[in-house]
Amino acid sequence: MIGAMSVFMVIGLIWALLFLPPDYQQSFTTRILVIHVAVAGTSLAFFPLMAVAGTITLVWKMKLADMVAKNAAALGAWFSFVTLATGSIWGSVMWGTWWEWTDARLVSMLFQFFLLLSVVALRSAIEDADKAAKACALLSIVGCINVVIIKYSVEWWNVLHQPASPLSMSSDNANGPEFWMATGVMIIAVYLFFIVSLILTTRNEILQREKRSQWVQDIVRAA
Amino acid sequence: MTQSIQFSSISEFLDMGGYAFNVWAVYAVFLVFIFVNLVFPIVRRKKILREIKKQSVFEHTDTDSMD
Repeated sequence: MIGAMSVFMVIGLIWALLFLPPDYQQSFTTRILVIHVAVAGTSLAFFPLMAVAGTITLVWKMKLADMVAKNAAALGAWFSFVTLATGSIWGSVMWGTWWEWTDARLVSMLFQFFLLLSVVALRSAIEDADKAAKACALLSIVGCINVVIIKYSVEWWNVLHQPASPLSMSSDNANGPEFWMATGVMIIAVYLFFIVSLILTTRNEILQREKRSQWVQDIVRAA
Repeated sequence: MTQSIQFSSISEFLDMGGYAFNVWAVYAVFLVFIFVNLVFPIVRRKKILREIKKQSVFEHTDTDSMD
């Protein structure tokens, strides 16, 4: 999986940086959107994932689900931050402003960032691990509402952030194959990165919790 | 749909049609983001394994002295 991620990442980066033709209005700033769209799209997967893991924690008390949810929250905060930062850097030249408080897409994404940080904070604030897991699970399930708001914010309130451009087979349109194919490669790369990173951090968590077990001792001896 | 490299020189590539700061800042942020979230867990795993090793060695010597 690390191999597949690296291949897609390298192809995506080279394609986006070298081969993407300039947009007739946005010039080379569409190179920013390839990254922004991929990271932003993936960032919406965190709350649903944490909600599913949280439900498993609440119903079956499965430890692994909670470990995944715990590490997903921190990674999700990273994703939301990068979405905001890249969007802002693009907006500063294309919209003429870094930030717009009246735009629902921007504000709801900022809210997701804070919501994920509060899931991380909530866990460290509650001493009892079981109670912390339950509280985080509930907050994750409620947090899914915000994902729906983020998704449809551009259609319900049309302020500054543009809605998704329809995919087009024609190069004459804004979202022609040159753009969405490069973006598609980058979306796959970012999704794989999300899974790889989450597996790496969850694996560390398992190692620590199971440090007395025989199989961890075997790994330690082999390392 | 044939695509070719959009730049004829390195300086043109670096300039990004006048949007050098914005384009390169985004790619820098993105690469730091990827790097941090892959390398930190790998470094941490090594650290955890080292700590567990230290602990188990400590415990073994502890029980040895008890015998």
